[in-house]
Amino acid sequence: MKHLVPEFEKFRERFPAGFESSLVLPCLRRIQEDRGYVANSDIEELAVFLGVPQIQIEEVLSFYTQFRRKPIGRWHLQFCHNVSCSMNGAENVLAHVEQKLGIKPGQTTPDGRYTLSTVECLGSCGTAPMMMVNDGYHENLTFTKLDELLEGLK
Amino acid sequence: MPEIFINGQAIEARDDQTVMAVAREHGHFIPYFCWHPQLSVVGNCRMCLVEVEGRGLDIACNMPVAKGMKVFTNSEEVQAHRKAMLQFITLNHPVDCGICDKAGECTLQDYHYQYSGQRSLSHDQKVRSTKFYNLSNRILLDNERCILCLRCTRFTHEVSKSMALGVERRGDTSNIRPVEDRPLSEDPYSDNIIDICPVGALLSRQFLHKSRVWFLQPTPSVCPGCARGCTVQLWHRKPEWKLKALDQRQNESIARVTPLDNPAVNGPWICNKGRDLAQVFERVRADEPMLKGRPVTVPAALDEARRLIGAARHAVALVSNWGSNEELETFKDKLGEVFHCFVKEDWQPQPGERLEDDLLIRADKNPNTTRARELFGHAEPGFKDGTDLVLVWGEGFDFARLPSRARIIFLNSYLQPENGHADVFLPVSIQTERHGHYTNFQGTVSAFEPCFEPKPGVLHAEDLIRALAAPARGHP
Repeated sequence: MKHLVPEFEKFRERFPAGFESSLVLPCLRRIQEDRGYVANSDIEELAVFLGVPQIQIEEVLSFYTQFRRKPIGRWHLQFCHNVSCSMNGAENVLAHVEQKLGIKPGQTTPDGRYTLSTVECLGSCGTAPMMMVNDGYHENLTFTKLDELLEGLK
Repeated sequence: MPEIFINGQAIEARDDQTVMAVAREHGHFIPYFCWHPQLSVVGNCRMCLVEVEGRGLDIACNMPVAKGMKVFTNSEEVQAHRKAMLQFITLNHPVDCGICDKAGECTLQDYHYQYSGQRSLSHDQKVRSTKFYNLSNRILLDNERCILCLRCTRFTHEVSKSMALGVERRGDTSNIRPVEDRPLSEDPYSDNIIDICPVGALLSRQFLHKSRVWFLQPTPSVCPGCARGCTVQLWHRKPEWKLKALDQRQNESIARVTPLDNPAVNGPWICNKGRDLAQVFERVRADEPMLKGRPVTVPAALDEARRLIGAARHAVALVSNWGSNEELETFKDKLGEVFHCFVKEDWQPQPGERLEDDLLIRADKNPNTTRARELFGHAEPGFKDGTDLVLVWGEGFDFARLPSRARIIFLNSYLQPENGHADVFLPVSIQTERHGHYTNFQGTVSAFEPCFEPKPGVLHAEDLIRALAAPARGHP
């Protein structure tokens, strides 16, 4: 986390003094972006840097499911399984990917390339079913589209 | 000064007040779980819903007063929603009152009977969670009973400032959790969270499954642990529930200690040391008067003591700062002329104990130093040549420091090796066996009441002092 401190100092300037606890969220996001997950050492160092109790950081981390405490695969496939996607066959496309990759949601392939998750609404109901691969949206999913996409993810 | 109406009663409220505060001041009860007079408002239990004419339902604890607002604390709509809130709050609550220590003083239980009385409407399985989670060496947490009012986390953040607790996860999997960098066991006020927990989620390890609370009665008392003199309640078995078999010692022991709300001294809090008063009071007691270690009757010991006092040329008294105002005044009045008096510090800080902080704990670990010093001065105990009698009242004085020639009269409550070395030893009662008052370091006087009867042979120090002051060869 140490090398991110200059960036965190910039975040700090955007907040009035005494609002260190409000910095927890942006700092954690940046850490996860950088490392891929939030390590225990990050929590300890961030607590010291911000001067907030560790529990406050743990609270934020455990509240938002988007934060990860363990490393994940190169490609993170997040399938929406909320109402609109589900009605348009999210479970089918998910099953297809599960079969193709040989893993269940929450698991990572042994080669460390793919991690599969199911998530709640990603705000793209008009183009259901959909998923996110890392930071990109892939919409109106079909089996062929998925096959092509997985081919492209090397 | 906005005028508001609560259940039709016109009330002049202050601008900075909430509806909850105004209602409480004027005797309109609004039920609540998460609100606490000494903590910040979070408004998460939704139990204090009231109806405001033209505005519908909202929570009273976070509602500022406004001119002319008409509040109804018990309208039909409020009642219906309260009932619904209780359904929601007990959605995942195990309702295991039968085995819960809090039963009998649980707000959830009380409100359920008062406002709902309904069975659960849910068909779903209750969410299971950790039972008997080890929060610290003093406190257990039952996450299933927790209703997430967050009083405990707010207490550690706002009052004790140990920041030891937080909430992990969210929704019905939320759990109160401690964190490793600031352990709750290092918070000297941690046990207050057991009291402020509105349900049976936080449990005292010391009191766990020891007694049902309705077998106990509280006696108002004063904590002698430091010069703050917090008012406390000593809980002991009610006379009508005395045990005739099993462990009869329970009839005469302190089951637990809780704070007695006192805005002038301690507010609603006490420190953990105050909770462990039983360890101080329940040490092995001395209950027989002795002459040089030989047990005698009370009159014989008194006669010998009076003879020594009568024969002494220069007598010194080391007065206990654990004595009550009444005892100290009696001593001054009856024996102040006979003895050259010094105040003795009965208790010194224990190793590892927090010495002082800005919440409650004071460095002076004795309850009545203030009154004792007012009466007997600030001088440190010292013995002039020719001192031939020393009266030691209370514990904590090293007998090796006494002049070797002097005769010793010793007034003590506990069984200690020094008792046998004194020329006259007289057992005296302890705080839990008598009435009295202590004056704390601010000069505030608080009263304590007796819980138990002293054993025969054990005298109250006040009576004993009067008896010693009577002419020699008299009878007490």
